[in-house]
Amino acid sequence: MPAVVEIRELVRTYRTRRKAEETVALGGVTLTVDDSEVLGLLGPNGAGKTTLVKILSTVLLPTSGTARVLGKDLVSAPQTVRENVGVVFGGERGLYPRISARQNLAFWAALYRLDRRTAQNRCSELLERMGLADRADEPVETFSRGMKQRLHLARGLIHGPRILFLDEPTTGMDPVAARDFRALVRELRQEGRTVFLTTHDMAEAEALCDRVTLIDHGRLVLDEPTRHIGRYLDARECVDFTCDDPAVLAQVPELAFVESVEPRDGGHRALLREPADVARLLVWLIERGVLSARRSEPTLEDVYLRLIGTRAMSV
Amino acid sequence: MNALRVIAAAFRLQLAITRRSPGHLMILLTSPLFSVIFLSLVVSGQRSGTLVNGVLAPGLIGLWLMSLDLAASIIEEERWAGRMELLVASLTPVSLVVFGRIGVVILAGALTFFESWLVAVVGFGADVPLERPGVFVVAILATCFAMAGTATLLAAVFIKSRALHVFQNALTYPFYILGGVLVPVALLPGWLEPLSRVIFLSWSADLLRGSMSGNLPDAWPAWIAMTIGLGAAALVAGFLLINRIIDQSRETAHVGHS
Ligand SMILES: Nc1ncnc2c1ncn2[C@@H]1O[C@H](COP(=O)(O)OP(=O)(O)OP(=O)(O)O)[C@@H](O)[C@H]1O
Ligand SMILES: [Mg+2]
Repeated sequence: MPAVVEIRELVRTYRTRRKAEETVALGGVTLTVDDSEVLGLLGPNGAGKTTLVKILSTVLLPTSGTARVLGKDLVSAPQTVRENVGVVFGGERGLYPRISARQNLAFWAALYRLDRRTAQNRCSELLERMGLADRADEPVETFSRGMKQRLHLARGLIHGPRILFLDEPTTGMDPVAARDFRALVRELRQEGRTVFLTTHDMAEAEALCDRVTLIDHGRLVLDEPTRHIGRYLDARECVDFTCDDPAVLAQVPELAFVESVEPRDGGHRALLREPADVARLLVWLIERGVLSARRSEPTLEDVYLRLIGTRAMSV
Repeated sequence: MNALRVIAAAFRLQLAITRRSPGHLMILLTSPLFSVIFLSLVVSGQRSGTLVNGVLAPGLIGLWLMSLDLAASIIEEERWAGRMELLVASLTPVSLVVFGRIGVVILAGALTFFESWLVAVVGFGADVPLERPGVFVVAILATCFAMAGTATLLAAVFIKSRALHVFQNALTYPFYILGGVLVPVALLPGWLEPLSRVIFLSWSADLLRGSMSGNLPDAWPAWIAMTIGLGAAALVAGFLLINRIIDQSRETAHVGHS
């Protein structure tokens, strides 16, 4: 069995027309995905995520390096790759707004060479599944953003691809819509599909992805199963607390067993090395009247912030 | 005095601009063409074909203008709407989508012939002949096909060209004349004929006129074949060019000069 996706030293540069200089969007990415899973593609703006998605969906050619999808080379066998790959770019663009959702899907079904009967069944099935059946025959321009995004997902699935690329699919979705969307992505994995998901929502990546890949400046910074992500932090234990007394607060970082203290969601988070230190800090805090303290786990966001740091805003 | 100096400065400014963008002087090119049109109409004034021509010319011009418009906007529109990438990622060449979309609009646009017939009959109480309706219908279909093929080629050429509007303009009046839309090619100066015979319109316009007036030569099927053949040649060239532009866009990350 060939790997689902196999990327070797993938490089992509852009040459802007005015300036002679080149932008390196991907500077040699190597990555193998060999199981049906949900893979989170994370990284700051301009990191190269969309570029990677475009290359893997055959929209762009790599400048150098190779990439194979189910054993087929992207450059020499693009048609075979296209049969197996679905792609959804986030946002509302990419649909024909004047015609109905069903007509949109029927058009794409034809572009993926489904016969009429299969196309009709597939459209109805997907519209039903995306909760769009009631509005299926209304013009897409009357749809809300969330509905358009679900229609996009339906479009990406029209030919039943083994692999699906979702580039920021949940931006602008309300919490309920995003939750339903995540449930759908889990279903897709159950069906044996591999999903590449680009997102800036760390909680979403943590909840949904089996594995996360972090890209920064076109390079792979991390590629790890989500549940092992904490190992990227030296201090793997945390205590969250809120403290109004500045005198007490000032003392916490001075404690010998406290690694560091960071502001966090209106309160503070202390990072500790050993599990035993957690109990010591909790007791220390409670004795000083801080009752809100509780143990917590380092999150993907902690890892992201640690690895990408403050550079994210300077791109 | 100040006002005069401003006007003089503006005059010099525009002179400098015009030298850089000769598009402003398009009228110098189009006005002799108007002369050709009006002179031909006067010269051919008393002939019986004038009524038929009055019905056909607006239809053909309408159809052609529509094709130009569509050709100029269709690829650009797919790009702006964010659909180009999705089309590229699909199993079907973008060129087929371009041709299909153009085809429908042109078929619908063929109704302009009916409109101008109505104007002649209802508005002017004219007795418009239609001697060979069968040939007429075949000629209309062949014209639509050739129009769509040509528009597909133009869609590719336009997306490649930096001076889209100049190009678009150049394809109007000269084309009507060479295509025999306004006056039959036979009435044009003889040296223009070889040029006009590579334009599908010169065959299809003669065909349409002939099928209405009954003045058809026996070789009319060859004219149909020429119309379809020239349209098909444009279509094939259009397909090749669009496919090449898309291939290049996968490398450069932009479509044409846009
Ligand atoms: N068509 C293009 N022409 C020139 N440069 C480009 C083009 N597309 C992307 N880039 C550049 O390539 C780099 C990577 O861009 P890319 O869109 O892949 O980032 P991203 O990780 O998807 O960012 P975001 O999170 O903002 O979507 C950026 O520096 C960007 O400016
Ligand atoms: Mg992006």
